[in-house]
Amino acid sequence: MTPEAPSIRSLPRTLQADALTPAALEAVHAQTLTVLEEVGVGVGGEAMCRALADAGAEVDLSTKRVRFPAGMIEKALERSPRTYVLAARVPEFDLAIDGQHSYLAVDGCAAEILDHETGERRPSTKQDLAMAMRLADALPEIGILWQPMSARDMPRKSQSLHELHAQFANSGKHIQMMTAVTPEVARGVVEIARVVAGGSEALRRRPIISAFECSLSPLMYEDGALEAAQVYAEAGVPCGFVVMPISCATGPATAAGTLVQSNAEILAGITALQVLVPGAATFYGCCATVMDLRSGAAACGGPEDLYLQMAAAQLARNYGVPSSIGTFATGSKIPDWQAGVENGLSGFASVLAGADLMCGAGLLFGARVYSLAEMVLDAEIFNLLHYLTDKSAMSLSDSIAQVIESVGPGGHYLSDKHTLQNMRQQWMPKLFDRLSWEDWESAGQPGPQELANERVRSLLSTHEPPPLDDGVEDEILRIIDAFERGDGGNEDE
Amino acid sequence: MSDLLKSLQEAILTIDEETALKVTQELLDSGMEPEEILESGMTEALLELGRRWNCGEAFLPEVVAAAGIFERCSAIVEPALMAKADRKVSDKAIIATVKGDLHDLGKNIVGAMMKTVGLEVHDLGKNVPTEKIIEAVKELQPKLIGLSALLTTTMPEQENVIKALEEAGLRSAVKVMVGGAPVTQEWADRIGADGYAPNAPEAVRVALELTQVAA
Repeated sequence: MTPEAPSIRSLPRTLQADALTPAALEAVHAQTLTVLEEVGVGVGGEAMCRALADAGAEVDLSTKRVRFPAGMIEKALERSPRTYVLAARVPEFDLAIDGQHSYLAVDGCAAEILDHETGERRPSTKQDLAMAMRLADALPEIGILWQPMSARDMPRKSQSLHELHAQFANSGKHIQMMTAVTPEVARGVVEIARVVAGGSEALRRRPIISAFECSLSPLMYEDGALEAAQVYAEAGVPCGFVVMPISCATGPATAAGTLVQSNAEILAGITALQVLVPGAATFYGCCATVMDLRSGAAACGGPEDLYLQMAAAQLARNYGVPSSIGTFATGSKIPDWQAGVENGLSGFASVLAGADLMCGAGLLFGARVYSLAEMVLDAEIFNLLHYLTDKSAMSLSDSIAQVIESVGPGGHYLSDKHTLQNMRQQWMPKLFDRLSWEDWESAGQPGPQELANERVRSLLSTHEPPPLDDGVEDEILRIIDAFERGDGGNEDE
Repeated sequence: MSDLLKSLQEAILTIDEETALKVTQELLDSGMEPEEILESGMTEALLELGRRWNCGEAFLPEVVAAAGIFERCSAIVEPALMAKADRKVSDKAIIATVKGDLHDLGKNIVGAMMKTVGLEVHDLGKNVPTEKIIEAVKELQPKLIGLSALLTTTMPEQENVIKALEEAGLRSAVKVMVGGAPVTQEWADRIGADGYAPNAPEAVRVALELTQVAA
């Protein structure tokens, strides 16, 4: 049952541009292999180090440094499936990851929310997360749900499980875990997903969640990260690797240098996963940016980011692995000119680069603050790009010379039959201001934030997400309770 | 309401000119009073379009096209209407793009939209000399004149028309509205116009206000 469930909008792969020349692509790949072979990657877990050594990696157990030979990387890429389905609790929301479509995810994971009613910036709660999910459920532009913000009012130990609960209860769309980063929590996540999916085989057949693990740049996977990825993959849950290096701080100063390091970190993660669970569905994720040289914070939104988005997606295409590319996430503090410029260009860059997943919508202030208004504004940008990439809207009708002839020089198209037949194909913005000056003044000169807040209120006042099956919510809460009491997340479950 | 009347409304609303003209003729042949065809069929369709416009459901090209069909259906019922002495008259408005200016798209849109609120609109066309406007005022005795100018160089013609109305002793009998891209409320005040609107929907609101005051 999907009350008011508009089908998910995806961007067809009709426009494409390469940021890297074939020679540059080859150079990035070659230098990446050098880094992986000679520098290696720090891997926190000893058992993991041993497993990688058994698979052919050169491992120094005293420093927990793992060096990957080129052949091991290549074999792993061959094993990684190019296409798969990210299923959803509501089957109409299934997403085909087929190299032909781009989907938008709500981004995460902010620690604060910019409250759309009070304008106040404050720590985010489980309730805020629930509201954001309900909004995302109502927006056809949103295909995938990360945890956009933390449920900071929940116990730290079980916070990720509470977040997953809020997500399942408020949307039928595919959920991608970004906050479950230890094997214990990953097992709790899988247990909950199995309850919602209808058992472990059902989850394997239709993975209604996916996950990813992050490196600790530069070149580290903390104890637990790869182990958590293994838990997901063994349960049939696709698990990618998303890196977030900051050029000049946790990545080399040049964007191309940060690209090489990012590539090495992602390939190391994918290679480890394919050693542990051969053929596991995975993806290539990159949210790299630069450090602002005066504040020291992540900048999010400059030309380096655009280059890194396009180059990373191109590398993923070249490797034959689906990509998840950091998109939008302006550095601005409110939905303003800066946010519009940064996110408009960022969305366009990801489309041109052929990103499979574009994460994501709604972040402000370099991913530290979440805004529901920004979510609907980013959805509007995605909507504009959807129109641009949908070639049917731009196709040339054979008879257009006749139409032009029938109007003739000096005439007008206003009431022409062709106009009446085709005008509704025109893109109709929901949030761009096209009022007359006078109407705009009498409406109180609303800016993007005011227009977006109004749309947020309107959607939240009407949208009801598809309910969970009877008894499922009780079962989720029971699992969380057991986890909090220390009985959950055990290996033998 | 008769099915034929309903299909006339539907034809106008769906911009199906061929059907609209055919049904109008059929209604007339069936012996229906021309006023009823005009009011319950054609005008009602435009009023419905106006309601759709206010809900954001209709677009400018539809309004202009429907007004064009209305015009051509009117030509069919007009002879029968004129033959009757006791016909009801609605408020008349004259619209024109002033002398020297060939840009009539905005004026056409305003004229079309005025029809959606039931005004009887007489469109004098584009590049209309002042004398022709004065003659039309004498002949038609409208409540309202709408003068359009797109160019800063033709805007002064709006002022010339107002002066000419004064000289002919007609100024107090008619309200004058001005519009066009470079025209502002300030300009309208300066030349002594009664109304100004920045766009077509607003022009209709002002036109109704002015014709009701004049009533």
